[in-house]
Amino acid sequence: MPQLEQVEFFISQLFWLGVFFVILFSVLTYITLPKIRAFLNQRDDFVKSHISKQDELIKKAESIIENYEANLTEAKNQASEIINDAKDRALKESETLIKATEEKIQQEIRQTEERVTKEKDLAISELNVQLKDSATNFISKVTKIEKSNITV
Amino acid sequence: MAKGESPLKQFEIQPIIDINLFGLDISFTNSALWMTVTTAFILIFFTVPFLRSKKTNSVSDLYPSRMQVAAELGFSFINSLLSDTVGKEGKKYFSLVFSLFMFILFGNLFGMIPYSFTFTSHIIVTLALAMGVFIFVTVLGFVKHGVKFFGFFVIPGLPFYMLPLLIPIEIISYLSRPISLSVRLFANMLAGHTLLKVFAGFVSALGIFGILPLVFIIALTGLEILIAFLQAYVFAILTCLYINDALHLH
Repeated sequence: MPQLEQVEFFISQLFWLGVFFVILFSVLTYITLPKIRAFLNQRDDFVKSHISKQDELIKKAESIIENYEANLTEAKNQASEIINDAKDRALKESETLIKATEEKIQQEIRQTEERVTKEKDLAISELNVQLKDSATNFISKVTKIEKSNITV
Repeated sequence: MAKGESPLKQFEIQPIIDINLFGLDISFTNSALWMTVTTAFILIFFTVPFLRSKKTNSVSDLYPSRMQVAAELGFSFINSLLSDTVGKEGKKYFSLVFSLFMFILFGNLFGMIPYSFTFTSHIIVTLALAMGVFIFVTVLGFVKHGVKFFGFFVIPGLPFYMLPLLIPIEIISYLSRPISLSVRLFANMLAGHTLLKVFAGFVSALGIFGILPLVFIIALTGLEILIAFLQAYVFAILTCLYINDALHLH
């Protein structure tokens, strides 16, 4: 097996292994890996900053939505208030109108009733007078008593 | 492959440039060549996509290119591996685990290219990596906990008369970590590549019936690519677990 037979090359192999491994290790440690790390960090920073920016924008959007919804509910409340107001007013107006009309009708009914009673009274009194007249006439004719002496 | 050639020949080290430093033979070999390729590839793959110099400071800067996404995938893979096993403190050891994982992974993967060389199939390389991890973790444990780190070998809640038996077992299991870590990687690479070569020999030996081992080789190549990834992953996750042990003891 050459690995164990070629002892004369052990020193050479160790020497070159040392040389190349030290070169590899040093260049990687001081040049290559810091460069890769810097590149990756730069990208990570960029991504992180964008994520935080995105969070900010999301918060902003949420506050805008909240604002909008608050405005919307306020407007809805106002609208329902206005509607209720209008309903109330309309109800009141119609009630007063109805009341006024009813009063008017009542008044007219009362006036009419008064007029009717007046006319009735008048008619009755007239009838009474006529009845008295006719009664006195009748009695005077029957009894031949002077009309003036009869009282009914 | 020439007939009769050993399936182990692929693991032979061949010097490309002879170098002698203070009497030590540190020749640049095929193993070193593929370490160069691996290191260069990893550095180019992970660095170049992030070298965009023009800054427009616009959002388009942040869109990753295809290569950046690919590099980022490896980065976040090790990142999640570390944070899953060690937690937040693990970030300090990120570049160590990342380098180990990528070095072993691409070493294994480049080893799958025909005529290339798999340096992770050499016990001396994997043992060196594992010993490095072992020494680092042990030093880390002593730095974090001082003498209390020896308490790591005492399992809490155990009757005292069991301690003479279990402390040596714990110490042996601790000391065998670098061996198991290195042999696992080395043996997997060795076995996989040897098996591929053996069956490749059957393809030419069986003539027209060589189609059967050929099909097998194709399937086995897929499996080997999976194992290349899996062994790098195992090495990395065990390193993470050892770091976690050193940081939190039990």
